[in-house]
Amino acid sequence: MSLLRTARLPALKLLQCVHEQHLLLASITAFNQSTYRRPGQPKDNTPPWKKINFNFSKGLQGIKKNFTLLKKELCDPWVGPEGKSLHEHMLEQNRVVWEFRGPESLQDWIVSSDEVIGGQSKVYLKLGKNNTCFLYGTLCSTPPKDGETRYSGYCALRSKQAVKSFDRKKHHDWTSFNTLHLRIRGDGRPWMVSIATETFYSHQADDQYNYFLYTRGGPYWQDVKIPFSKFFLSYRGRVQDNQYPIALDKINTIGFTLGDKADGPFQLEIDFIGVCKDYAHTEDIAYELYKRNPEV
Amino acid sequence: MSPYVILTITAFSMVLGTLITASSSHWLIAWMGLEINTFAIIPLMTQKHTPRAMEAAIKYFIVQTTATAVLLFASVSNAWMLGQWNIQQMSHPLTITMVYVALALKLGLAPLHAWFPEIIQGLSLVTGFILATWQKLAPISFILQLPNCNPMLITSLGLLSILTGGWGGLNQTQLRKILGYSSIAHLGWMMLVIQHMPMLALTAFIVYVVTTFFLFFSFWLTQTTTINALSTSWTKTPIISTTSSLILLSLGGLPPLTGFFPKLLILAELTEQNLALTATVAALSTLLSLYFYLRLSYAMVLTTPPNTLPAALPWRINFTKPTLLLASSSTLSLLIMPLSPMLSMYLLNS
Repeated sequence: MSLLRTARLPALKLLQCVHEQHLLLASITAFNQSTYRRPGQPKDNTPPWKKINFNFSKGLQGIKKNFTLLKKELCDPWVGPEGKSLHEHMLEQNRVVWEFRGPESLQDWIVSSDEVIGGQSKVYLKLGKNNTCFLYGTLCSTPPKDGETRYSGYCALRSKQAVKSFDRKKHHDWTSFNTLHLRIRGDGRPWMVSIATETFYSHQADDQYNYFLYTRGGPYWQDVKIPFSKFFLSYRGRVQDNQYPIALDKINTIGFTLGDKADGPFQLEIDFIGVCKDYAHTEDIAYELYKRNPEV
Repeated sequence: MSPYVILTITAFSMVLGTLITASSSHWLIAWMGLEINTFAIIPLMTQKHTPRAMEAAIKYFIVQTTATAVLLFASVSNAWMLGQWNIQQMSHPLTITMVYVALALKLGLAPLHAWFPEIIQGLSLVTGFILATWQKLAPISFILQLPNCNPMLITSLGLLSILTGGWGGLNQTQLRKILGYSSIAHLGWMMLVIQHMPMLALTAFIVYVVTTFFLFFSFWLTQTTTINALSTSWTKTPIISTTSSLILLSLGGLPPLTGFFPKLLILAELTEQNLALTATVAALSTLLSLYFYLRLSYAMVLTTPPNTLPAALPWRINFTKPTLLLASSSTLSLLIMPLSPMLSMYLLNS
């Protein structure tokens, strides 16, 4: 499955597809703003200082929020690693990372579709009937008529980058676990799960570890457990020849992408996303690591 | 070319670079040795082409070349101003300060330490050991040769490193990062005393190398890189687990283990130099390091995790791996304390 012309995170106006608009974040941090410019659109020459919304009360709220987070960061180490006691850290075998129990949980997610490149797919995110994440919409693989784009037809849900105080990135440390556990209810479509780890250099920024999620459809919930050893490395949608095990100590985001070229409505309901430790699974990586073109 | 040939060439170059630096008194030759040393370790870091290892190698290269560039600038400035290329004859305070700052960046002394834990986390255990020990030799040889124009700077670097090494390692769960912060703290102890008694600093370094060698290689043998993996290591190698827990306490400076004697001598020397407050702050800051060493020991031998199930844990230990050095280093790390009066008389009076 390839995702050509994958859009980066959507511009602010496209978040109108999120129904709970009053829960949108008041300010989107710099790394959530898209730098993608659709072909044919005029270049935005607004100087950066004109884009800032100076607001004293917003500033005060920001100071309060950041210092509260900083205080928590300074106090948590007195308890133990990641704010939990050592015993809890050592005994932990399962962890629910994302669960959808209220409208505020949707704030941690971003939806996007090929609408940013001029496509006609629609995607919406709302809280489902049983307090679950309900992603739905319509897929349309008709390419936009801009003379450049040849393929279209994708929808994606991706978690936002977690932040610490003063907008510093916060990473998930999943080294104690080896399996991704999802409880989902789909419509039979194949999705792709993408995990993005922390990278330092720009040439690694679009590295993602992907694996497939085949949903069953039907009224019953589906428990999916994907070992991290099965995830393969891709860059901008292209599977890499050289595969490496995923580094679990700095996970940034997780995403779900649909691009199965089957036009029509889709839906995916997610109860929770967690990680667990399967002691019977000892594989480091599922893919061959032999050297191609060995010297004879 | 055979990988063994490449490994031999890079290892030889790394050793050659350090020896050139340590044995030269001309700035340019010493700088050349540093560069050879830096370039030689890069292929060792990138043996496994994982994204994390490549990232670590590039970061290491950037940091080290920055430090070397500042070092070269300082030495050339000194030669420009005073016409002197000899390392021991450097006398301009500004250039000496610049050199010390460059060496602090090279060594990973606080406050220029931020790169070290991240890089060591991205490397394999063996390469991490080389980074934490061998790569420190060349900058330390510079510090030994340089005249001391700024005792306050060196003492501040030392104290800050001990504090930062202890504070930073407090809530780490990754063993390589813990050993990285441990390296920063131990370098701090060396810096405290290097201006008063250089041989004692070298002794502390040797004890650190021997102790940390055991830890790195026992983690390599048991393939453990996190605290949680350590907690099940006793099922695989009970003797190594027990010894490792004692060696961790030795690294923390607990008597009657070997690691106590360099710290004791350093504190004694600082007191003799009327730096009792410095000695007190150093001793108290080391308690932070001791806390996480104790935590590792606790996880290793004082807990029985619930996962002693008949599951496919990595229990197969490859006994063909050489363990003679491991045995020797464990003996040296634990049992040298009774010989410390003789060693101190020999080393410190020579």
